[in-house]
Amino acid sequence: MAIVSVLMASAVITALFTVSLGVGDNIAQEFSKYGANLILEPQSSTIPIGLPGVTMGSVTEQRFINESDLWLIKTIPWKVNVRGFAPFLYQVVNVSHGSNAQEAVLAGTYFNKTISIHDPTLPPDQQLFTTGVADVSPWWKVTGDWIKDQNDTTSAMVGSKVAQTLGLSPGDSFRVSYARGQNNTAETNATGLKVRGIVETGGAEDNQIFVNLPVAQELSGRLGKVDTVQVSALCIRCPVEEIAASIKEKIPYVQGTSIKQLTNAEMGMLGKYQSMMALITAIALIASMLGIFTTMTANVVDRRREIGLMKSIGAENRSIASLFLTEAAITGLIGGVIGFGVGIGLAQFIGLSVFSTTVSLRWEVLAAAIPISIGVSLLASALPVKRATAVEPAIVLRGE
Amino acid sequence: MNLPSCCEVNDKMADPIISLNDVTKVYDGGTRALNEVTLSVKREEWTTIMGPSGSGKTTLLNIIGCLDAPTSGTVCIAGKDVTGVSQAVLTKLRRENVGLIFQQYHLVPYLTALENVMIAQYYHGNTDEAKAEEALKGVGLGHRLEHLPAHLSGGEQQRVCIARALINDPAILLADEPTGNLDQNNGKIVLELIRRLHEEGRAIILVTHNPDIIKLGDRTIRIVDGTVEWDSTSGGTANGE
Repeated sequence: MAIVSVLMASAVITALFTVSLGVGDNIAQEFSKYGANLILEPQSSTIPIGLPGVTMGSVTEQRFINESDLWLIKTIPWKVNVRGFAPFLYQVVNVSHGSNAQEAVLAGTYFNKTISIHDPTLPPDQQLFTTGVADVSPWWKVTGDWIKDQNDTTSAMVGSKVAQTLGLSPGDSFRVSYARGQNNTAETNATGLKVRGIVETGGAEDNQIFVNLPVAQELSGRLGKVDTVQVSALCIRCPVEEIAASIKEKIPYVQGTSIKQLTNAEMGMLGKYQSMMALITAIALIASMLGIFTTMTANVVDRRREIGLMKSIGAENRSIASLFLTEAAITGLIGGVIGFGVGIGLAQFIGLSVFSTTVSLRWEVLAAAIPISIGVSLLASALPVKRATAVEPAIVLRGE
Repeated sequence: MNLPSCCEVNDKMADPIISLNDVTKVYDGGTRALNEVTLSVKREEWTTIMGPSGSGKTTLLNIIGCLDAPTSGTVCIAGKDVTGVSQAVLTKLRRENVGLIFQQYHLVPYLTALENVMIAQYYHGNTDEAKAEEALKGVGLGHRLEHLPAHLSGGEQQRVCIARALINDPAILLADEPTGNLDQNNGKIVLELIRRLHEEGRAIILVTHNPDIIKLGDRTIRIVDGTVEWDSTSGGTANGE
């Protein structure tokens, strides 16, 4: 009974800690599946230009971010936590497929772009960074394929609603045209594209067409420009606002806006998860201690004569205490080891059913579970042991 | 442990190994089990205690065996005043001077005969398997060393109990109805063992209802209502007078 009590506590502790460590380590990564949590936009319409110490005027009406500055995002102090980013350049285009035609938003972005980080302090293997829209929008449900080649200027990923309206399927070709200037009277650029994949998100993306950034820049004549940059910069301990401020230090004309709703939800979920784990652990420990206490008390009562006998033949209180505490420690050890095995199984079950992932064996959990099991067993046995030492040796002669 | 010497009891015996002076024991419920008992037992003396049930025999044995402390009065064991000392000191004194033989044997059920003897050695701080084997052979149980108590007869269990009592070579042996649960044959074997231990020079305090056993002892004390009603050595009628 005592072993079962310890076993249950050890199993619960092992399962929760294993899940916490195994899955918890990846919780931020799991959360990052919800997408970007920081959006960079051009801050003002005026950017001073010149050399250090020499002012050469300013460029007005700047409403874009220079693509050539994007590598700076990976040079901030929190750069390790920048999991990825994707620039977007939007434009409204006319899309035609056969006899069907409609207006849609064409977005140029990175799909699988490798950029150079011009930071000589970085080791060579960190001076290249590959990123793209899949890093900031991992929830995209794609029928067909992703665009994989950053130099592919003929492929497009089409939002599901656009595809439905125009009757597009992967492999189909269609045409987009962009009217530069106003009143649709100016020069029109057009290009033919082939559907690589259909994107379904349930959001605005369903009404958009995605192409490699240079295609959009070429089409609208905004070479080297982007409208916004979505950044997936997530870690459990570092505030997104600090990451945004760090980016601003590197690229002064952008402002970062954290998607607080998502961030707060992430932090809230983490907090609730940890609180729940602590609560369940506490309940398991208390239940275990009650079980051990009850069993040990019954054990002491059952063995009163044996205790009295041992005292009558010369056992001191510390010998009696040692006997029962040793039994409690062995109980804790056995229950802890078996409970660890059961807990690993339980952790796998929780990992698969809740997080859809397996969890690996964590020896540090064993290192914690065994001492905790022994400690709980000893603690719960303290009062019964005190009761054992209070047994009078005279009971063996009195025949009680 | 430096206990005060207490040989100056009001007893005329020379070198008593046990001296009780005006010992009274009142239990928590108010029951007066012993009432101003004064008693001395010599070394190598076999004292038989008789009396009706509830007369205080077992309480007297408990106090002599340092298993219990008196409410008032003075107790000296092996020349040391043990009145008012701690349980730990009483335990040590008991361990070194007293062997106990119980009517119910009180063997640890999950230990073999040999282990039951060795457990007394363990608490004495000197386990010696060969000596424990010798003790069991001495009581005729050389062939039962590895048997659990459940596989021994009542007489054999009592002999294990005797081997355990003498394993640390105590000067005093306390026996509470040692033949009470035995048939006549086994009872004889046990009494013969006790007689042999007495001849080896130990003081024996034996509680019994059996008048035949009285003849084996040097001295008989009758206790009634917590007082010594009769002592064969003095012919007195109360409190050993």
